[in-house]
Amino acid sequence: MKGTLDRIIGNRMIFLAVLFVFFFLLLAVFVKDFFTLYNLTNMTQYAVELGLLALAETFVILSGGGGIDLSVGSIMSLAAMVIGVLIGRAGMSMALAVPLGLAAGTFMGYLNGVLISYTMIPPLIVTLATMYGYSSLALLIAVDPRFGANPMPVSNFSDSFYFLGQFRIFEIPFQVLCVLIPIVLVLLFLLNRTAFGRRLYGVGSNETAARFSGISVRRVRISVYTLSGFLCALAGWIITSRVASARPDIGSSYLLEAITIAVLGGVSIKGGEGTIGGVVLALVIITMLYNGMDISGIQPIWQLGILGVILVGAVLLNQILIARRRI
Amino acid sequence: MKTTVRRVLQMREVTILGVIIVLAVVLSLTTKNFLSTSNISNTLLGLSGIAIVSIGMTLVIVTGGIDVSVGSALGIASVVAGKLLMAHASAPVIVVAALAAGFAVGMLNGVIISYGNIPPIIVTLGTMNIIRALLFGVLGGRWVSGVPRTITPLGLGRFLSLPIPFWIALVLIAFFSVFLATRSQGRAVYAMGNNADAARVSGVNLNRTNLFVYSLTGALAGISGLIYVARTGIVQTNSGTGFELEVIAAVVLGGTSILGGKGTLVGSLLGAALLGLIQNGMVLLNIPALSEGLVTGGLIIVAVLIDIVRARGARP
Repeated sequence: MKGTLDRIIGNRMIFLAVLFVFFFLLLAVFVKDFFTLYNLTNMTQYAVELGLLALAETFVILSGGGGIDLSVGSIMSLAAMVIGVLIGRAGMSMALAVPLGLAAGTFMGYLNGVLISYTMIPPLIVTLATMYGYSSLALLIAVDPRFGANPMPVSNFSDSFYFLGQFRIFEIPFQVLCVLIPIVLVLLFLLNRTAFGRRLYGVGSNETAARFSGISVRRVRISVYTLSGFLCALAGWIITSRVASARPDIGSSYLLEAITIAVLGGVSIKGGEGTIGGVVLALVIITMLYNGMDISGIQPIWQLGILGVILVGAVLLNQILIARRRI
Repeated sequence: MKTTVRRVLQMREVTILGVIIVLAVVLSLTTKNFLSTSNISNTLLGLSGIAIVSIGMTLVIVTGGIDVSVGSALGIASVVAGKLLMAHASAPVIVVAALAAGFAVGMLNGVIISYGNIPPIIVTLGTMNIIRALLFGVLGGRWVSGVPRTITPLGLGRFLSLPIPFWIALVLIAFFSVFLATRSQGRAVYAMGNNADAARVSGVNLNRTNLFVYSLTGALAGISGLIYVARTGIVQTNSGTGFELEVIAAVVLGGTSILGGKGTLVGSLLGAALLGLIQNGMVLLNIPALSEGLVTGGLIIVAVLIDIVRARGARP
């Protein structure tokens, strides 16, 4: 009995699962309209962009060396604007504009990785600088000379563009079934079943040891920032399709939430420690809580506060339980 | 003697100072207002708030931590000060109350971080959001302007033609630089950042050190909030949003290692000065607001890059 309890407390995944069940029951009992098929399927669409950014942050933080990516929201905005401007203003076809937007975001991530690996500037500074730089680029792209010098959103897309973010398969949002879930599975495979995953954990937990065992630390780090850029660009594409508009500040509010989810999911800020499963569970919990608070009519700013209490409270509870076990 | 000179020249502070001087020379040659008294004093006023909080943030980062709640602490102090101003409280009461509000936020961070043994980024992300929500609860999304001018001199006053907030920053930086160099609590901060286990074994009280650095940061954010209200006369729910990144940028630009154990207060002041100068230069050169991020980001990278290249060159 005591052994089982120990395992529950010591394993972040199981702890999060218990937390999930607790909040799910709480919301199902006390919030009207929460436990309906429509709501449960509908709310999953809000997890997609945040989830992609949290996964991007997960890989970057796992790579260690003070790894963090503050530019995720800016890359998301930039990719959204590239796609929006190419389709809405330049009249380019979707088949061309979307790959270009994704490539732009991926390149921005690659640039982060190169700057970090080749200059030895700490990731926090590089991505702080590129956070400013990329969001500035997004604003500049958004300027339409025909309407003066101010950045403008783009919203004249053809109907086929909305398919990705608004179509449903058996009531489940298309982007959940055909983007988020496949991406999670691919990343799960990448991290747990490939040499790249082993190298990533190696570099994150002990850089020197990894280098001596012949791993190119530089290549691993550049890969994770590039991957982060791609995932952020994907999020930018999806949100543009979902809300039917490309805005230059569309990703700016996601940064801290993405880091929160990664850290709540058990990713150690020091690198080398954390799992996709934990991050996905954290994502599910946060999405569910947001949704529950939304349909109970709680103001967004209060939602942030409650989220803060839950973040600190959950980790504190986990630590207290671990400490008690040791005694 | 020669090695001392060389060591001084190799310091990060000297690099940043060099970048500042080059930028200042370029700006004074290309614009006609840069060297005017009003421009210089406005620039110094603008960077004072960041410089004051950077003292605490430097210590926090030196211990290996981070505090992203300083913007919210600034917000709560400015709301407390604003509410008391509207109630026509006296200046000393307002100052003490705003300081106490900031201090309380820092204390809360410190207690949870040390006794809960939780990573600082999680704790301060949490308190940042919680306090912002509380501020919304108090102000209800409205904003207060045109408060009585009781504490205005604190924000807009001058002494020897320099703004009072800048003097406050200088005095605090001087005081805490000496404190760090001479007092055992000051040495403990660096010891903890270099090797927490070794520090604990040699008698450093890690919990007390955490409480010290986070409470100090909170209190300094309180002073900044006070100056903010005194300067602008405006209190809003979102006062200080984004402030944390500016402070962290100044500290890290100034040479404090994000991995802990290394950094000076003078370096952080220079980092804040460089950021202030960049922003001022963009206004003077009429660089469009949309490109500001591009220029700021680029210059941050260039400044740090110069330092890294120099450090590499210096290595035997």
